[in-house]
Amino acid sequence: LLWKESWELGKNPMASKGSPLHGPRIKLIEKAKDLFADTKEHAFESKAAEEHARLLRIQHDLEVTTKQAIFVDSSISDTIRTCIVLGNHRAAMKVKTEFKVSEKRWYWLKVFALSTIRDWDALEKF
Amino acid sequence: MAQIPNLDNAPVNLTSIREQSQKELVNLLKNIRGKKCLVVDPKLGGSLSLIIQTSILKEHGVELRHLSADPVQTDCIKVVYLVRSQPSLMKLICSNIQNDGSKGLQREYYVYFVPRRTVVCEKVLEEEKLHQMVTIGEYPLYIVPLDEDLLSFELDLAYKDCLVDGDTSSLWHIAKAIHKLEFSFGVIPNVRAKGKASVRVADILNRMQAEEPVNTPDMVVPEINTLILIDREVDMVTPLCSQLTYEGLLDEFLHVNNGSVELDASIMGVQQQEGKKMKVPLNSSDKLFKEIRDLNFEVVVQILRQKATSMKQDYTEMTTTTQTVSELKDFVKKLNSLPEMTRHINLAQHLSTFTSKPSFLGKLDMEHTIVEAQSYDICFEYIEEMIQKQEPLLNVLRLLILFSITNAGLQKRHYDYLRRELLHSYGFEHMKTLNNLEKAGLFKKQESKSNWPTIKRALQLVVDDTDTANPNDIAYVFSGYAPLSIRLVQHAIRSGWRPVEEILKLLPGPHLETKRGGFSNSPSFDNLSGASTNIAKVPDGRRALVLVVFLGGVTFAEISALRFLSAQEGMAYDVIIATTKVVNGHTLVETFVEKLG
Repeated sequence: LLWKESWELGKNPMASKGSPLHGPRIKLIEKAKDLFADTKEHAFESKAAEEHARLLRIQHDLEVTTKQAIFVDSSISDTIRTCIVLGNHRAAMKVKTEFKVSEKRWYWLKVFALSTIRDWDALEKF
Repeated sequence: MAQIPNLDNAPVNLTSIREQSQKELVNLLKNIRGKKCLVVDPKLGGSLSLIIQTSILKEHGVELRHLSADPVQTDCIKVVYLVRSQPSLMKLICSNIQNDGSKGLQREYYVYFVPRRTVVCEKVLEEEKLHQMVTIGEYPLYIVPLDEDLLSFELDLAYKDCLVDGDTSSLWHIAKAIHKLEFSFGVIPNVRAKGKASVRVADILNRMQAEEPVNTPDMVVPEINTLILIDREVDMVTPLCSQLTYEGLLDEFLHVNNGSVELDASIMGVQQQEGKKMKVPLNSSDKLFKEIRDLNFEVVVQILRQKATSMKQDYTEMTTTTQTVSELKDFVKKLNSLPEMTRHINLAQHLSTFTSKPSFLGKLDMEHTIVEAQSYDICFEYIEEMIQKQEPLLNVLRLLILFSITNAGLQKRHYDYLRRELLHSYGFEHMKTLNNLEKAGLFKKQESKSNWPTIKRALQLVVDDTDTANPNDIAYVFSGYAPLSIRLVQHAIRSGWRPVEEILKLLPGPHLETKRGGFSNSPSFDNLSGASTNIAKVPDGRRALVLVVFLGGVTFAEISALRFLSAQEGMAYDVIIATTKVVNGHTLVETFVEKLG
């Protein structure tokens, strides 16, 4: 029962996609995380929910600073890519360390992102 | 060429099934007097087009519309909805009706459920307080003949419903469909089933027979001799591999739907404005297609080339030498097949743009490596890289599931790592997808040692030297991998389950073998090898018939393999295939991907 409840919660915030009120959504996810944490088997789900909440916060901040509503609801990899494409390498780096993105994935993302903006010089350098 | 396949060559009278469905639909429409607008569930549209021509519908004063969220635009006062029993579709109908109401339109509404009404759907109508306004009925369409040896129950979600949601209503539906077949063709005396769902269908079928028996005169031999039920759960490996037959590849890249593909007109060499789509029918009424559909694609290209050159040769001969009238006749006959030739040459050319890509070849290689199940690390790294490169999710999941199944799951460390990478790359909303897959046992952590290598060896699933041009084994459909499901059917037909019992135990789900009806006293039904003596009894010299039912879908490659089997010498059986839906790895995995928001 508990498990079901936590799933409902986990699903809800997704269902209310695109709502401008991110505050409650993050809270909801955090609550889901706690529910997941109650049972041992769902340690993974709990951690994922926590990361999701953190990601949403960062994306929200990014949207405020860049004034572009393109971050929320994209995945971590997408976020990093968008940052690099926009030339915001510091932010990309921050997301990377925040979620412990592996070097391998980081390089793939960077290569893809740099080639989309045809920044061959930067590509050459790194 | 006709969109509706010609069923005259079918081993049993499938035309009668189609005609019956057609008649039922026409009667249903006749009972509603006057002009009416028929609003069809888009998912049903394809199936309907295989049963009835639009011209016949028009004769009965019907305007055709597709069901959508937009209000119905029509002058008709009577609106007939033809829908599957799904609550979400009810919502659409309700919004349609309410929209009419707000405009002050007075209409009569009829809702017909295919194949039967469900309480849930009626509840939705009740909640919206529209229950009084609509007349509810049923249109019992259980089976759609797709081709002369292929039937479909058109249940896209059956597999997921059973495994993830525990909703087994589709099993009832399948049993009902088989029972309906028995009314036309007699009680099927031998039943062999493998897998949880299969055994349940067999049970339900027996119960139906007890409640509502099919009466066959004692002396008449039923037209269908054996029923084999195979649960998709037993063999998830096969549908996830890329199919390499012509029809299979067409499905993988262009998505065959209800016996036709839709593609850009420019591919077919038609000069039309950009982006125009056209439908190309694919069924065995097309003689050339019948000849090449089941062959390995490599061979198809060669055959087409040969045919083209021989035709050219004929043509030059024709222009240079004088001909007799009969030779001219032959030539003209050959010319008649020209449109079919061009069609398939165009299609084959289009396909080879996909198959010659290095990424496609790389994927094939990887599939074979996974099926061989010897180099765990290479496979793991390949999938890891795919995720990190954010390749299309479905492609990744296909390989991942294949990997997980052949290894009976992944080590916990790897499992968590890949799950995390997936969520990071594709977004957290796929949590539910992962959960679905875990529930269905398709992607999970390792709990016991994998018995895939044993199964593979015992059933000779990997065949090293396959000659794709002159195949001597079903492994040709995947260029070296023999589909597990078809191997099982092969054994079931030849000798029943008993000799392979040990292997069956290694596969998921129970198995069952029974005899039904009043035939227990006739001696040679014991196993099918004895059935050859029975063939003489079957009227007009036809061969004994086996009905193979796949619960949870079947791929074109598997269908090809079965056709190949029944065409072998020494095989005294014709095979009819029935399935919940013709699937491929993509469409199958797609049902598990949860769409949110």
